[in-house]
Amino acid sequence: MASAVEHVSAGVGSLGGIAAVTDQESRARYAIDGVLPRAVVYPSSAEETASVLASAAERGLAVVPCRNATQLDIGAPPGRYDAALSLKNMASVWYYEPADLVITVEAGMKFGDFQHFVGRDGLWLPLDPPGGAGASIGGVLATNAAGPMRILHGTPRDMTLGMKIATVEGKVIKAGGRVVKNVAGYDLGKSLVGSWGTLGVIVEATLKLFPRPARRETYTLIGRTLDRVREFRRNILASPIAPLRMAYLSDETSAAPRTSASQPEGFEIWIEAGGSERVMARISSEIEAIAKSMGSALAPVESERATAVWERISDFRNALARAHPDAVVLKASLPVAQMEAFLGRALSITGGAGTRTASVSYLGGETVYLGLVPRNSEWPAEATVAQLRAAAEEFGGAMIVERAPAELKRRVSAWGETKDDFAVMQRLKKVWDPKGILSPGRFIGGL
Amino acid sequence: MRASAHIRELIAIAGTDGVLWNPEELMLYEYDALSAARPPDAVVFPRTTAQVAGIVKLARRKKIPLVPRGAGTGLSGGAVVTEGGIVLSLVRMKQIIEVDPENQRARVQPGVVNLDLSAAVAKHGLYYVPDPSSQRACTLGGNVAENSGGPHTLAYGVTTNHVLGLEVVLASGEVIHTGAKFWGRPGYDLTGLMVGSEGMLGIVTEITVRLARKPEAVKTLLAIYDQARDATRTVAALTARGITAAALEMMDGFTLRAVEEATHAGYPMDSAAVLLIEVEGLREAAEEQAEQVQAVCMENHARAVRLAGNNDERELLWKGRKNAFGALGRISPNFYVQDGVIPRTRLPEMLDSMERIGRKHGIAIGNIFHAGDGNLHPLLMYDARKPAERESVAKAAAEIMAECVALGGSITGEHGVGIEKSELMPLIFSEDDLEMQKKMLQVFGAGEALNPGKVFPSGKMCGELRVQMGGAG
Repeated sequence: MASAVEHVSAGVGSLGGIAAVTDQESRARYAIDGVLPRAVVYPSSAEETASVLASAAERGLAVVPCRNATQLDIGAPPGRYDAALSLKNMASVWYYEPADLVITVEAGMKFGDFQHFVGRDGLWLPLDPPGGAGASIGGVLATNAAGPMRILHGTPRDMTLGMKIATVEGKVIKAGGRVVKNVAGYDLGKSLVGSWGTLGVIVEATLKLFPRPARRETYTLIGRTLDRVREFRRNILASPIAPLRMAYLSDETSAAPRTSASQPEGFEIWIEAGGSERVMARISSEIEAIAKSMGSALAPVESERATAVWERISDFRNALARAHPDAVVLKASLPVAQMEAFLGRALSITGGAGTRTASVSYLGGETVYLGLVPRNSEWPAEATVAQLRAAAEEFGGAMIVERAPAELKRRVSAWGETKDDFAVMQRLKKVWDPKGILSPGRFIGGL
Repeated sequence: MRASAHIRELIAIAGTDGVLWNPEELMLYEYDALSAARPPDAVVFPRTTAQVAGIVKLARRKKIPLVPRGAGTGLSGGAVVTEGGIVLSLVRMKQIIEVDPENQRARVQPGVVNLDLSAAVAKHGLYYVPDPSSQRACTLGGNVAENSGGPHTLAYGVTTNHVLGLEVVLASGEVIHTGAKFWGRPGYDLTGLMVGSEGMLGIVTEITVRLARKPEAVKTLLAIYDQARDATRTVAALTARGITAAALEMMDGFTLRAVEEATHAGYPMDSAAVLLIEVEGLREAAEEQAEQVQAVCMENHARAVRLAGNNDERELLWKGRKNAFGALGRISPNFYVQDGVIPRTRLPEMLDSMERIGRKHGIAIGNIFHAGDGNLHPLLMYDARKPAERESVAKAAAEIMAECVALGGSITGEHGVGIEKSELMPLIFSEDDLEMQKKMLQVFGAGEALNPGKVFPSGKMCGELRVQMGGAG
């Protein structure tokens, strides 16, 4: 057996019997922060994926699992990046029982195709992750990606009943099962969801489906100040209506979704609810009454426009980057009661730093996305990011630097500081990936 | 037993009133709700995280296994001692540390009783969702260890979906904090790994939970059937029609007659099965759903559907359900509660299998299902004084489990594996799967220090599938 060094210098060749693709175009598709993988490999089954990983581990090659690259840039820039492992050839449905509300699919299935597939039976996964239709099931799980709709039934974590995981030992491990309630054994799947491709490769997932509401209605209104937004948010959460999603936006970048071409004063609030005709009538009158009590006018939004707006809200990170490639995208998660206070502080920090800022905040997950577009290249980027992170932590939350120009990303921490549970996380990584070949160094604390 | 050096050290940590070591007192801790195993060497009742850490370090130094325990209401032998050791009882850590109504969060110690938390936050219009039948007694720490369910977890998820963060004392004595008050702290989901790990990975000393807002309206219906099969068909039909009930319970005739005699909840004595169905939400939504439920029940040949007219009637219906185990105790000297899961569309055939297995072994089986999520609780009647009956029950239970797995299900939906089902684990997991699960003991640095002898098969069973009913039954 030749040494790893010789193999690396000789190129990736094939991995686990699967030919690696090395043309520029394929590699560029999976570039991260300007770093291209040396090869891309496309396994077609769980077993092939496991063979690829085993072979990479044996040769000490760094592998980053991926599919459609809608969130691939999140995380620390890769130090080593030998191969992108794309699951694009793995998009089958293995098991589907609509009357049980359960489905098993391969991880490479696109989220849009998935929703379309189950939508024919009036079902859905009540999620609107970044990347939208182009995201993959595996990617959504590996990043626990969820947009504002998570307020309804939680995140992918809460909808995953079981999964199969390809390991660097070349095995395919099963976690969980195919039934909606199951406490047999340790819940290994939980640790894979949101592990950002650093432990194993999720090759198959069994998910819990939900019935789609008969009708959905989106409304919008303006909250002139953050105090007004807070008041509206509190009133909605205290009311008996359970919205499908609710978000509020501000924009100085002309990139965020909005109602009109003109810049509204204050914050645009978007809220969607679902139900039968009779239920919707009640909900709209409730929302209207809340808006009226605050002196705001509520406008219903026709469905096509609503769809487009919600897509852009969910995929804010990519929408902003398309309009402003030099934008910095930050995502803060914090307790709901502190959202507006944090946002106020954040906008004053970015105002002082001389950036134009767009923000998308949503309930459920209590997320505040900030998109910073520098007016000139001289802005104090590092200091601003540090100040914003300190503010998020002061308000009891955390902040991720999701996206930034490559040179800035190398100077700031993508994930922030680790805490007293980090040693356990390190041991978890060691157990799954002893040689550290899966997305090495990209997750928090260099995991 | 003399106050050994170990006991004196435990007393130094937890105080004289914080340690039990007289044999007659220890006998109480021989049991959980599954059955008896053997008495522990001592029971210690810490009041603080620091005391827990001290006890854990002591046990590690002396190489004594620790068995964490809440109220002891578990049904899989998870809180009993298998090979000697100290029971670490968390019932004196029962403070609700913080209630944060606006964020809908509470931070509690593990000894807080499940229902006490809901009672404490009721004034804010909030409640804690998972509601095991033992919720008047069981502790939240025990719920976390077992990832407990309950009738109302159908719509909103089980314990793991409601726990955001934990304080954990590791087997090293080190204290860590997993998760956060908010969802989405970056890092591996150690909270998710801890929940349901049956007290083997660490000792939970603080729990951050999410609280839910009480719905505006609740409608409770009782559908009565002359054929049990029609009740199971109704369950599949409701799911297929997209009707999401908040709870959907089934009891067969055998069980409901016992319940009715004990609680007078108004269940009809001559029916073959009843469904207890609850819908909730906005007033309009609950009303509409109640009408739809009624229609689906009638389409599936319900004899009648009754709607609880007020809260008292509702409580009475639920009282019958939640006290069912107790009621069955009146008609049989002993019974063994099983816990299996199947895809909910397979309920009709599972019911047939249950009958077949009961007949084959000559035992009466009562059926209580969390039907909405396919979680079965067959109750196997026997007399513990008759070893042959005990043996038949154990065999029947193993067959029921095998049937659940054959239908695509699992060996436990909410009671956990414990000592009861560890030998059944190979039914659903390969050696590789189990090996990876075992490695979690390494990850948390637990080794065999905490709750040893649970969850994983001993490998001594030579292929025979057996449930472990414990000592006396």
